[in-house]
Amino acid sequence: MDIGMDILAQTLAQGLLMGGTYALIALGMGLTFSVSGVVNFAHGDILSLGMFLAFACFNAFALDPYVSVVITLPVMLGLGALLYRGLLKPVVGSHTLMVIQLTLGITFVLQNGLLMTFGGLTHRVPSMIEAELILVGDTLVLRAALAVAFVVCVALAGLLYWMLMRTDLGRSIRAVHQNARAAALMGVNVNRVRMLTFAMGCGLLAIAAALLVPGTPLHPSQGLRYTVITLMVMVLGGMTNFLGILLGGLLFGITEALGTVYVSGTSGMIVPYAMFVLVLLLRPEGLLKGRAA
Amino acid sequence: MKPEFFSLVRSPWFWLAVAFVAAVPTWLPPYYLGIGVLTLIYIALALAWHIVGGLGGQISLAHSLFLGIGALLSSALFLKLGVNMWVGAALAAAFAAVMGAAIAWVDFRFKLGHLSFALITLAFAEIGELVALGWDFLGGASGLYLPADKGVLSAFQFGGAKGYFWLMLVLAVVCFLANVAILNSPLGYYLRAIRDNENAAQAVGIDMLRNKALAMAISAALTALVGTAYARYSSFVDPYLFASPAVVIDVVLIATIGGLGTPYGPLAAATLLVPFGEIIRGKLGGVAPGLHYFIYGALIILVIRTMPRGVVPTLQSLLTRRRAKRRAAAPAAPRVTA
Repeated sequence: MDIGMDILAQTLAQGLLMGGTYALIALGMGLTFSVSGVVNFAHGDILSLGMFLAFACFNAFALDPYVSVVITLPVMLGLGALLYRGLLKPVVGSHTLMVIQLTLGITFVLQNGLLMTFGGLTHRVPSMIEAELILVGDTLVLRAALAVAFVVCVALAGLLYWMLMRTDLGRSIRAVHQNARAAALMGVNVNRVRMLTFAMGCGLLAIAAALLVPGTPLHPSQGLRYTVITLMVMVLGGMTNFLGILLGGLLFGITEALGTVYVSGTSGMIVPYAMFVLVLLLRPEGLLKGRAA
Repeated sequence: MKPEFFSLVRSPWFWLAVAFVAAVPTWLPPYYLGIGVLTLIYIALALAWHIVGGLGGQISLAHSLFLGIGALLSSALFLKLGVNMWVGAALAAAFAAVMGAAIAWVDFRFKLGHLSFALITLAFAEIGELVALGWDFLGGASGLYLPADKGVLSAFQFGGAKGYFWLMLVLAVVCFLANVAILNSPLGYYLRAIRDNENAAQAVGIDMLRNKALAMAISAALTALVGTAYARYSSFVDPYLFASPAVVIDVVLIATIGGLGTPYGPLAAATLLVPFGEIIRGKLGGVAPGLHYFIYGALIILVIRTMPRGVVPTLQSLLTRRRAKRRAAAPAAPRVTA
């Protein structure tokens, strides 16, 4: 294998691994959107909150982010449920723009709450596998943290799929997604399903946060970037299509990696955005059409 | 343009209010004068955005492109090619207008809908920021420094804060009048029809592309003009300020709190919130950075939950309802005797 191929393989692997995490983040939002029509512009900031919670756990108890997820997961689940009940529930079903503006408001509160609590400096959370590398074959070198993240994300996506297809909660989620009114007539507690889905989305973010924290510098203003990535992945996937969102996440991760390696400087960072605009214009319904959950 | 516009332009009260604001710099201490300039900048930006976001109901987050073009392009043209900044401002405004019309075309051609429009404009804004950070002609990540302001009017220099206060006041008045003019013109009626129901608007034969592109172009050109003036005022043309979507999200939130659909909403909200935020930042910035944004966020959540249409429209309909009630109560008595 020549050097060029090596770099390409390395880049693709890196992008694929990162894309898995993007997909997981976007799945939570996709599920919420499909049952309640909420486009959550605060998604990235909730993720950011999860990352800072992991940081706080490390600061207070010297917990590794992979361990502290035991604490952050229930906290974020509860927070998601509260957020939905207290703020989002009354605007569900009203104009999309109102929901966008409300969640933008939440963004400001979260981002600046973090800024006030943790200050404007960049933080790092060390982890036991932060510096570990995994060698695949002779040439492929992967960061262990990324590989762990990818494996967990794939496992969680599988679990989520199983939950949607095989459990009662999953069936009611799919029912609300297909037709909320009919689901209500069949005795599904629509509000409860919506709240649980939103809480679940926040729970996924707690896990994603733990996976992202090793090796990622934390700053209170990082949320918007994650929101933008999440929204793009979700739109790429066709908003509500489970498989589409997975594909969208991987595609975004790969184009991002390709752009960073093959296009110099900041113009490389434009590549995924340009890809997004192009896909949206050529296939406005996303990569995969259809409503399957 | 309809009588409403001319009655406002002819109204002595309107010009008296403008004259009153114009007299403010004569007695305001410098620190508060700076806040005044910033407030006028936000008023102008919120009103320029309102043409698309309020009258047309399209949450455009691409306005950071227009602000960035106004600030960075005109400054770069002046510094690198020696183009006079008045000419640069005009060029930037024209370029922003073309770009705005192009975005409206994309929206029309691909029938984006409200949500996709917000997302794609956000993607454009991110791309714009990355272009600004990566392109040396526009100053790259380190930004551009404009030479010291000597008050040479022909070089787009307006002297100290006082001069810029009046410049921004002119821009804010222009943006306000543009809103009132459009609100009461055919374009305004078309835009509102499009906002309320796109399919119905198209069905009755409203030219979607023409109206959307026109609104976007006007809004973009005004935003770019404010951008040039803001850049000259701050002298340091920071891409992280002018080309980042953050300022525009600020502007969108302020306009929404005030209420969309009437120019008085963004006007009132910016007039109250910007000085409030700046004073909090000045007093508590060291203790609690970000507190004023935290309060903005809490306010918008509160407003959306209690007055989903925004503060000013809610107050307006409260007033008209009370007036109607009074009117209904008054003639009721004579009717009985007659």
